[in-house]
Amino acid sequence: MALNIVVCVKQIIDPEIPASQFKLDKANKRQLREGHNLVISAYDQNALEVALQLKEKAGGKVTALCLGEAGATSALKSALGMGADEAALLSDPAFLACDQFGVAHALAAGIKKLGAVDLVLCGCVSGDWGDLMVGPLLAEELGIGCVTFASRIEATDGALLFRRVVETGVERIEAKPPVVATVISDETNTPRYPKLRDIMAAGKKPIPVWKAADVQVDAARVGAAARRVEVDDLYVPVRESTCELIDGETAEEKADRLALRLRELKLI
Amino acid sequence: MPGILVVVAGEGERLTRNALEVLGGAGRLHQKLGEGLAAVALGEKAEAAAPALIAHGAETVYTVSHTLLKDYQAEVYLAALEAACAKAEPRVILLAADSMGRDVAPRLAHRLRGSMVSECIELDGDAGAKSVRAIRQSYGGKALAALAPKAFPAVVTLKLRTMEPAAPTEGRTGRTEALSVTLDAGKARTRLVDRQAEGSTGVKLEDARVVISGGRGLKGAEGFKVLEELAQVLKGAVGASRAATDAGWVSASMQVGQTGKTVAPDLYVAVGISGATQHIAGMSGAKAIVAINTDPEAPIFKLAQLGVVGDYRQVLPRLLAKCKELTSG
Amino acid sequence: MDFELTESQELFRKTARDIADREIAPRAATVDELAEFPRETVATLGELGFMGIMVPQEYGGAGADAVSYVVALEEISRACASTGVIMSVNNSLYCEPILRFGTEDQKRRFLVPVASGRSQGCFALSEPNAGTDAANQQTRARREGDTYALNGSKNFITNGLEADFAIMFAQLDPALGHRGITAFVVERGTPGYSVSKVEKKLGIRGSSCCQLLLEDVRVPAENRLGAEGEGLRLALRALDGGRIGIATQALGIAQAAYEAALAYAGQRVQFGQPIARFQAIQFMLADMATEIEAARLLTLRAAALKDRSASYSKEASMAKLYASETAMRVATKAIQVHGGYGYLKDFPVERFFRDAKITEIYEGTSEAQRMVIARALLHD
Repeated sequence: MALNIVVCVKQIIDPEIPASQFKLDKANKRQLREGHNLVISAYDQNALEVALQLKEKAGGKVTALCLGEAGATSALKSALGMGADEAALLSDPAFLACDQFGVAHALAAGIKKLGAVDLVLCGCVSGDWGDLMVGPLLAEELGIGCVTFASRIEATDGALLFRRVVETGVERIEAKPPVVATVISDETNTPRYPKLRDIMAAGKKPIPVWKAADVQVDAARVGAAARRVEVDDLYVPVRESTCELIDGETAEEKADRLALRLRELKLI
Repeated sequence: MPGILVVVAGEGERLTRNALEVLGGAGRLHQKLGEGLAAVALGEKAEAAAPALIAHGAETVYTVSHTLLKDYQAEVYLAALEAACAKAEPRVILLAADSMGRDVAPRLAHRLRGSMVSECIELDGDAGAKSVRAIRQSYGGKALAALAPKAFPAVVTLKLRTMEPAAPTEGRTGRTEALSVTLDAGKARTRLVDRQAEGSTGVKLEDARVVISGGRGLKGAEGFKVLEELAQVLKGAVGASRAATDAGWVSASMQVGQTGKTVAPDLYVAVGISGATQHIAGMSGAKAIVAINTDPEAPIFKLAQLGVVGDYRQVLPRLLAKCKELTSG
Repeated sequence: MDFELTESQELFRKTARDIADREIAPRAATVDELAEFPRETVATLGELGFMGIMVPQEYGGAGADAVSYVVALEEISRACASTGVIMSVNNSLYCEPILRFGTEDQKRRFLVPVASGRSQGCFALSEPNAGTDAANQQTRARREGDTYALNGSKNFITNGLEADFAIMFAQLDPALGHRGITAFVVERGTPGYSVSKVEKKLGIRGSSCCQLLLEDVRVPAENRLGAEGEGLRLALRALDGGRIGIATQALGIAQAAYEAALAYAGQRVQFGQPIARFQAIQFMLADMATEIEAARLLTLRAAALKDRSASYSKEASMAKLYASETAMRVATKAIQVHGGYGYLKDFPVERFFRDAKITEIYEGTSEAQRMVIARALLHD
């Protein structure tokens, strides 16, 4: 069964930059951009990979949707390079000032503009704020079901089968499209590298940029005034502990000294 | 009476650690805010948990018992919770940030037109200003955010293994009220087909006092053998980074991290783990962290109290032998 | 003048960097220690289009420009110089000549398999008596009706062992001198064509360096690349592009060596402080960073000229000359910064040093580059 899949991707500052380079923009209560590389949030990449695999098996179309700044086209180009068929960017100052509720509302408006959709995917956690809210909120906005922490998705006769990762193990969940799923990583969904020729093709693909007026959003639900939670403070906690490096001529000597130190500290 | 409402599901006479942690956080907030503290228990026989909930601080316990509540299903649970909230009219709703909490909380907040803070590590309140302050980690733990809900009810999920669990008080009394809610299986948009427990033998990872974790540096499943032996000697459990589980070297249930298990052991030994942000999110609560890695630049050394720069293939066997020696006498 | 990469070029760089960090760098030390062809990595890179970056998509390539090639190749070489040279030979020395001089049929048979990553190619110009004096070809080609018979030997041929296709140069008529040199594509398995020796080298040990033997190797006329006597022109054209490739490889090596030195200096404590606080070390690092920047700009400029179809031979020579000598200086300094530890195999800098040296020699020695540059200056 051919599936119309929308993958919501977020463009973030590379989370793996050295901790010493991590600086905060205190005024705007977020990380300082400072020319660091931008990447697609890791679990969103897994979501893209799951979408692409589903398309390869069941047929259909994959659209990458991003809510971000004007420059977020590079994330979408990257998604196109991996194999997404289309991409669209929701970009508006009102959207940037949103909290997760506003983001979900705006994304839902974008998804509705894309037409009838069978499956909406996003990463289970965002790589910057570490929030897990947008996926379930999208389900509420779109009035459809939601499966969180899905590592694998299969298309069966008229339904979708999800492998959901929970504390005790895995669950198999069945749902009829349309449905939202948040994706967690697994050895089967390691994001593919884009083929260089697909990066070139992506470069030529037009990416529509939608402002608030281009989609059906309720003005009262987006923008700074609509925020339901305020960030009072964002700060880097002071960590006093320094690492005591165990010394030794050989690895074995270090191991011995470590064991003794652990005993000294009553940790073993 | 608007106040604090703790949500638990599937609890029995003996409350799980997750439930005790939420009650602990709720109790301390209750002291700051002075508002009522209630709990709602969902499940097939939810009333079984009522005495324990009261003993651990709930002034009122609402129970919703129904066969449809035996296993978590979003739409059914939401209907039950909406009914409970209509009754309890809470200002703050607290849940554990487990797979159920993470799934249901945002949707509950949306339906109640409230706000939400996820993965809260510290909860504070001001009775005078009637305000709530929730602190959470962001940017993989590199920063902390202090958040103030502006819309109520505020739904807050509490990060596992960060809240001090509630202790029971002898002779505490409270009120129990069984809510009769009509639940419609037809409203369910998802269906649980089956469940597969990926049980690990021995000490449960999230409860272990000692965790030995392996990462990319182990280069394969073989590498975990010596970690298992060390865990056995130290009476602990083995964990893994996402790199190791994604590569299929060990079961995904061993993953420690933001989307894996959160652990707060007395001793956490990170072997061949670079210290990627999402891994640290799952173990930064450990009391003592030891890092063993060939790369002196690995971020894990900034977090660890003790470190060995070296190849685990030489360090671990010797460490195992020495620990055996020290712990046997 | 815009020094910024386009979005596509940046994506090329990022993709190359991701693969380099995740799959190439972790294996580089083993590839060097065991002198092992990085088969899996080369296959992955090939599938993604890294072996035919500038080849049009209709022939299996990525259809990108020379600047994209440079940014991608630098990232790969930074992780592993052996993988870098394999990529460079396939792209610049093999694919480019077939693309420029091949017939449609030849492109289909010889270009598509290598550009699409399924096969390896090599470029067999050097001989025991024809190094810098490349025109002194002793390998003979003898026309017999519709075929040519090739006899002779080649040496120092990179990728010789793994190549399914070799661009082979031979002298058709000694009386014509360099105007008699002709190029052919010789396929693996052709009777009489063999790898007679695989050399043991100081560096870039993951790429094979071979002696090839041709004993009455018969190739059909359809395998002749370009016209009879056009061989040297083809070879020099190829080497122009190859210079951009080797300049980039050298750049990657230099960058890796510099980053290692920078990290070490920040961490190594002597006299109570990290040695990065000492001016002697700081000056070394400043020089390294500056020279690498200059080498990068020279290389990108040569690539940009090539993309504009402007003449780029002099610039490519300058880039190769400067980048290779920079790589050698930077790698030497990097070992110095590491002190005694830099001499040990436990640290990667000794490998960067060994890898860097060849960049001053192959695809035109530094002396040859100086000749090319001087000639261009004096003719201008």
